Amino acid sequence: MISKKKRITWAALPLYLFTILFVVGPMIYMTALSFASNKGGYGVEWTFTLDNYRQIFQPVYLQTFGQSFQLAISSTLIIVLLGYPFGYFMSKLRAKGKSRMMLLIMLPFWVNSLIRLYGWIIILQTKGVLNGILQNLGLIEKPLKLLYSYPAVLLGMVYALLPFMILSVYTSAEKLDWTLIEASRDLGAGKWQTFRYITFKLTFPGLLSGVILSFIPSMGLFFIADILGGNKIVLVGSLIQDQMTRGSNWPFAAALAVVLTILTSLCIYLYSKITHAEELEGM
Amino acid sequence: MKKMKKWMAGALCMSVAASLMSGCGQSKGSEEKELVLFTWEGMFPQEVLDGFEEETGIKIVYSNFDTDETMLEKLAQAKGGDYDLVIADDYIVEAAIQEGLVQKLDKEKVSNFKNINPLYQGQFYDPADEYTVPYGAGIPLIVYDPETVDFEIKGYEDLWNESLKDSVALTANYRVINGITLLSMGKSMNEEDPAVIEEAGKKLLELAPNVRLIQDDNTQNALLNGEASVAFLYTSQVTQALAENPDLKVVYPEEGLGFGIMAGFVPSEAPNSEAAFEFLNYILEPEISAQCFDYIGYYCTTQAADDLVNPDLVVPDSVTKGEIIQNVSEEADAAYNKNWTEFKAACD
Repeated sequence: MISKKKRITWAALPLYLFTILFVVGPMIYMTALSFASNKGGYGVEWTFTLDNYRQIFQPVYLQTFGQSFQLAISSTLIIVLLGYPFGYFMSKLRAKGKSRMMLLIMLPFWVNSLIRLYGWIIILQTKGVLNGILQNLGLIEKPLKLLYSYPAVLLGMVYALLPFMILSVYTSAEKLDWTLIEASRDLGAGKWQTFRYITFKLTFPGLLSGVILSFIPSMGLFFIADILGGNKIVLVGSLIQDQMTRGSNWPFAAALAVVLTILTSLCIYLYSKITHAEELEGM
Repeated sequence: MKKMKKWMAGALCMSVAASLMSGCGQSKGSEEKELVLFTWEGMFPQEVLDGFEEETGIKIVYSNFDTDETMLEKLAQAKGGDYDLVIADDYIVEAAIQEGLVQKLDKEKVSNFKNINPLYQGQFYDPADEYTVPYGAGIPLIVYDPETVDFEIKGYEDLWNESLKDSVALTANYRVINGITLLSMGKSMNEEDPAVIEEAGKKLLELAPNVRLIQDDNTQNALLNGEASVAFLYTSQVTQALAENPDLKVVYPEEGLGFGIMAGFVPSEAPNSEAAFEFLNYILEPEISAQCFDYIGYYCTTQAADDLVNPDLVVPDSVTKGEIIQNVSEEADAAYNKNWTEFKAACD
């Protein structure tokens, strides 16, 4: 008994080491850094200060957090509306259809996401594909300015994160016990009632984990805002990147990162409270 | 400036490699005079280097560095020795002078000193023009497409024009963009007064509706593919934009230019300073200067060569004001940063 337990501990050692070295260590460093002072250039002075956190409360930075949240909420909403039915109906397909659909969803992942975003530039730009089609159809006279706008960034976010929602809902709908649905129909419940009380309830954890998986990254995917938004839409992610590089204020960047980490941890905590799930569905 | 240099280095890598190889076979006696030239890769066309060797019999040893900072480090380690002539960016030249690593020019030996364009003289790193010879300038400029802009753009102030809504592409350097806003207000790009910087921040917010995109790399593409009708571009981008579409108009803003200068100096303990002065004098010859600037693609700092060099690399005589962005106090820098973040947040 003891030896068995020991064996398991030893086997897990690399995992512990990895976690300590590459997850816990950097987190501690980041937190410590967020309380240090900035010393011009790329220097950091190790004197304790709360200034970095105080700075976050300046209107412009609060606004950035606000804008990030707003974008994350809008993109997540669209992703739910598109992804939930998609994942649900996908689970109802026959085995062949399922695997084909899965292949189609996974296929874009084989291409680097930056390259896929550049594809969107080709479609959306002023002299691009979409404007060309619209002009040829006579729907518009002058090309529309589609790129470098808020909707373009929203589109990019939805495009990048939709697969995560589809896959989480799909996994959860796959596990759905169809006998329950049959029973509900047998007992006289209507289609809507069955959906609301049985199907939706049972796929809810999948939906929520999809929400988490799309909401959290959409606050940090700054390269989408850079490429499709022409650098005009500032997300918390872009702000951190900016402070790390151009602003050369590492302690402030660390403080922003700590706040973002806390906010996202809060989201995951809420998720586990609501669903009583131990881990994210569809992972 | 450094970025441009990297780009150039990449593009010229091949030709330099080829020229280095061809130089290998020609080693002559060791008693011959040598000039150790320390600068970035690809700063001189081979004909110019060969021409100097032929004319003076001084052999040029081309030693290169990647960044200004490595140059200063190596020069400090050598206590101002080892190298005869260094060419680097303005701000690092200032640091080298302050650390006492630079000797004064012997202007009798550099008799072509008078050929220099005064626009690039008397700058912060060498206010009395005692130590340096400028060798090329990078100047971010406004470029526009006259087909889509229905008025004549003359200066920075015109970027605020209401008809340019959602049509301006900007480079992403926070000091440069703050700087041109200050210039449009008749202030210095290196303003330290917090009240003035704040005022500039407010003015910058008014520019937000006109901004189409903010980007550092390949900003000229936005102009070429019709995304923007006006762009504020770095020198290498201006050159590329004009190469693709010669109908574009370049504006030398009437409020004054903001530029970066590369300058040559002789280190304090240079083993062969005579040769260095001779070389500086040589590259200030109008024909030689023109060859050099045509090759490196930076603005011509030798006025006497203005008629010989590619006309796109000559700043018109009407422009008499120019300023270099320098380091400012930490408070001022933080204020510039704040302006920039607020500006970007207001852009959409």
